Amino acid sequence: MAPLKSLEKEYPLIDSNFQSFCSSHGIFSVEDFLLHDLDALIAFADNHPTSQTLKQGIDQLLSTIDALQPPLLNGLQLLEDAQRNKHVLLTGCERIDALLGGGLREGQLTELVGPSSSGKTQACLLSASTVAKHNSSVIYLDTGNSFSPQRIASFVGQSSGHVFDNQVDHILKKVLDRIICYSVFDVYQMFDVLHQLKSNLRSEIVKSNQHVRLLIVDSISSLITPILGGSGPQGHALMISAGFLLKKLAHENNIAVLVTNHVVGGEDGISKPALGESWKSVPHVRLLFSRDFGSNVCHISVLKHPSMASARAASSTLYL
Amino acid sequence: MLSRVSSVRPFLFPPPLHRVPLRVGNVLELVGPSPSAKTHILIHAAITALLPKHYGGLDHFVLFLDLDCRFDIARFSQLLLHRITEDGTRHCDQTLYDLCMARFLYARCYDTFQFLHTLRTLHCRLEKEKQVHGVGVHLLLIDSIGAFHWMDRASMFLSQRENNKKKLFLQTVSEAVVQNIRKLLQVHPMLVIATKSVIFGNKYSTSSNELKGNMEERCSRNVTRNHQTFQYREYMPSVWQSFVTHRILVRSSDDHPVATNYQNSSFYLLEWLLPRLNFADKIVVKDVRT
Repeated sequence: MAPLKSLEKEYPLIDSNFQSFCSSHGIFSVEDFLLHDLDALIAFADNHPTSQTLKQGIDQLLSTIDALQPPLLNGLQLLEDAQRNKHVLLTGCERIDALLGGGLREGQLTELVGPSSSGKTQACLLSASTVAKHNSSVIYLDTGNSFSPQRIASFVGQSSGHVFDNQVDHILKKVLDRIICYSVFDVYQMFDVLHQLKSNLRSEIVKSNQHVRLLIVDSISSLITPILGGSGPQGHALMISAGFLLKKLAHENNIAVLVTNHVVGGEDGISKPALGESWKSVPHVRLLFSRDFGSNVCHISVLKHPSMASARAASSTLYL
Repeated sequence: MLSRVSSVRPFLFPPPLHRVPLRVGNVLELVGPSPSAKTHILIHAAITALLPKHYGGLDHFVLFLDLDCRFDIARFSQLLLHRITEDGTRHCDQTLYDLCMARFLYARCYDTFQFLHTLRTLHCRLEKEKQVHGVGVHLLLIDSIGAFHWMDRASMFLSQRENNKKKLFLQTVSEAVVQNIRKLLQVHPMLVIATKSVIFGNKYSTSSNELKGNMEERCSRNVTRNHQTFQYREYMPSVWQSFVTHRILVRSSDDHPVATNYQNSSFYLLEWLLPRLNFADKIVVKDVRT
């Protein structure tokens, strides 16, 4: 929402004459400029006595906006970027990796849906420990105090079975160092953390073993459900813009994003994922978790995946 | 004269878009709840357009504006290879594959202003591509047009118009989008295909109201579902609705054929709403076996 006045210092062409010309057409900010009919504006500028400088000012403004513009890529460039930068992260559970077509893909948003205590948080903790073990950082946004270092320790201990005890301690310390956990209790705190992360990633020159590769939000539905009610569109708008922010972080910084969601009752008594219809178009991959009552066995099926036609089921034993 | 006639040739798409002839300047809207095969249909239309004529294609560039930011290039590549090799019966030509991938232009937008600006600058960029390659863009794919709808609706952006007519931001934005696409179409005539997801949930209207009755009726809902008509609420402003010239509704189908070789497939129903055709096509999306 940059007002045109603020651009005056950096771009002298956008002077007070230009600004008053724009305000006579109802243009006070850069966004107004984008919404306006540009050809009509240029036609008006032609009739103005200072048309040359006005047109230069318009060109200047357009070129500054151009700099922020996403580039037009072709298929080969996209494929190259995907193959070079967007790697697959193992979650630590072979069955889940098989369902996901290899693992969590960087640049994509994966959603785990399921009723409570169906294994979603365990899957998140397992993924965090596996990714941290492979020398990458993990950012964990915990909304319900469910992050458990003890559980991470048991996962690390399980997977390094043949190593001596003191080495396990050493590995564990490194793993826990790489998992950065934030407690967020409302959606605005989440936005704060994500914006901070975005600017940190943009500015920092990071060493290779501190690259953030996984971002977990457990659970995003508990942050968004309280704001979805009400008569206005603000709740939905916040939800969708959170989705876009996560996808932008994922794509531009080659991070895999993992979020969890709960279920609500739908028509005919069948449970369906929470957060409604609009949220369905946000994640790339959706996995449905369910657990039989009184057993340790989790059933996981694919609700949506870009490369898979339909729901495939797998049952996996996650010890809860 | 002949060149003008050949440029107004209709697009000949393979099923499922084959029922109604489409020409440049048409705007086709694919509506459907998520998940339905909308992006899949877009990708197939794109591949048909990219392939050269001797492969059954239309031999021109395609522009894909990804507003959902969910496009998977690996899936696109897989489907393109599948089409080129016709499921393994033909040898895969690497130069052909590279040519087709290079003809696929892609841009991604994270909010309305980026979208507007992309539309505005497309003219110069497409002109450049045309000069370099000699082939123009004749297909514009937008996925999906309602992506920023909620954000635009809630936007507190107040534009102070000179005649005090406080138009809704949503209205202003839609007008700007339609205007920009129209201007683009004047210079680069294209067929526009846009997907739109349903965001207000669906209401199945049934011929009988017995579904609200007892449990037994609910169990036999598979029988009544064949008679349901899908209703969705139109949420795009009227300026976009009147810009659309053709509309297709896609939704997932519950009917599964009995044959067991249809595992790992999804079924969808496709229905033309504008112009109204009174039957539905069935689409089967199968996993591509690599």
